[in-house]
Amino acid sequence: MSFLIKSHPIDFESLRESLTSPDCGGFVFFEGRVRNHHEGREVVGLHYEAYLELAEKEGRRLVDEVSHKFAVRAAAIHAVGDLKPGDLAVWVGAAAAHREEAFTACRELIDAIKLCVPIWKRETYTDGHGEWIEGCHCASPH
Amino acid sequence: MKPPLFGLLLAGGRSTRMGRDKASLVIGADGLNQGQRAIQGLLPVCQKVFLSLRDGQTAPEGCEHLEIVRDNPGISGPLAGILAAFEREPDAAWLVMACDLPFVTPDVLTKLVQARGDGADFIAYASATDGLPEPLCAIYEPSARATLQRHAERNHLCPRHIMIEEHATLLELPPSCHRALENMNTPEDIAAATGEKQIHVGWFGALAEERGCREETVVTSAQTAGAFLEELANTHNLSGLRGHVRIAVNDEFAKPDHPLRTGDKVVFLRPFSGG
Repeated sequence: MSFLIKSHPIDFESLRESLTSPDCGGFVFFEGRVRNHHEGREVVGLHYEAYLELAEKEGRRLVDEVSHKFAVRAAAIHAVGDLKPGDLAVWVGAAAAHREEAFTACRELIDAIKLCVPIWKRETYTDGHGEWIEGCHCASPH
Repeated sequence: MKPPLFGLLLAGGRSTRMGRDKASLVIGADGLNQGQRAIQGLLPVCQKVFLSLRDGQTAPEGCEHLEIVRDNPGISGPLAGILAAFEREPDAAWLVMACDLPFVTPDVLTKLVQARGDGADFIAYASATDGLPEPLCAIYEPSARATLQRHAERNHLCPRHIMIEEHATLLELPPSCHRALENMNTPEDIAAATGEKQIHVGWFGALAEERGCREETVVTSAQTAGAFLEELANTHNLSGLRGHVRIAVNDEFAKPDHPLRTGDKVVFLRPFSGG
């Protein structure tokens, strides 16, 4: 049960291993990968940066929250640095006794990470121009 | 007749403990930096004010109009500046003043000037804490030059020790100004003296790009994280700080009414876009 932020390329194998367990029959994982387009523009690269101290703290809190809520084994790892289309940006896994909790927990964890963890991305387009992308904040600060 | 009195503002120190140039540090509500405040104090009592800088150093903000006296190469510390001043104007007396004495009032300087003329080479205040001479808010008469040179040749470079050995005329600080010669060497000194806080600011993403740096240290009198945000948004005209911005203090999310203390780390957070 952990949340990691690492330089690209990230290695999720050990996280994945840490989640498998004989009492878990369902294992769902999500891979967020760099898309080559955004609002009609061709994306050639992504730069991710994180406010590491707070991001790791907040990420761990979310992993714990989801783990308890659905009684699953969960973990996630997010990349920072310069990524190209197709590269793995985030990996989220949830293992549960049955598939339903695993699906729900995995979905909830990636949604929460996007909302609440201080990570930002900057897209670079074919013309060399770049832009910081902004999503939305967690509705209620903790 | 007394020799003319010139002012020498010492701004050649390296401010290693402060982490930034002390002369350009703004302290107090009037917006003056320490260099400007010192010039304001020296001008009424001196015929002319010179700026003492080390070799290659540029004048701090607000002090650019002063004539510059460069440190003599070969020796370091305030004595280098004082000797260079005597080289420039051997027949003048020098009111030497460090640029980090924000509490020196006109009374303090006037009393020094009024004590001239009894044949003393050095006129200084006795420290309110240990009674020893305060050499960096003091008058050096032309007759002091040869004495200083003699000490410099023996590698005695500490003006305080020289003043002790040479029996400088010592004055008592005016009773209302007993703190006048406390200097500001560290961010904590400033905080203690003025109630202002030293805040470490981290910038990320679009805000780092707009601000043009990833971290900085800011002196502020803002009471809360939210007031500090307002202050930075206005001072630097940062559009990224307007609109939906969250605040973290010491690596925890914080509300705008979170009180600030000196040494706090503050980060402003634009909406996130991980995943």
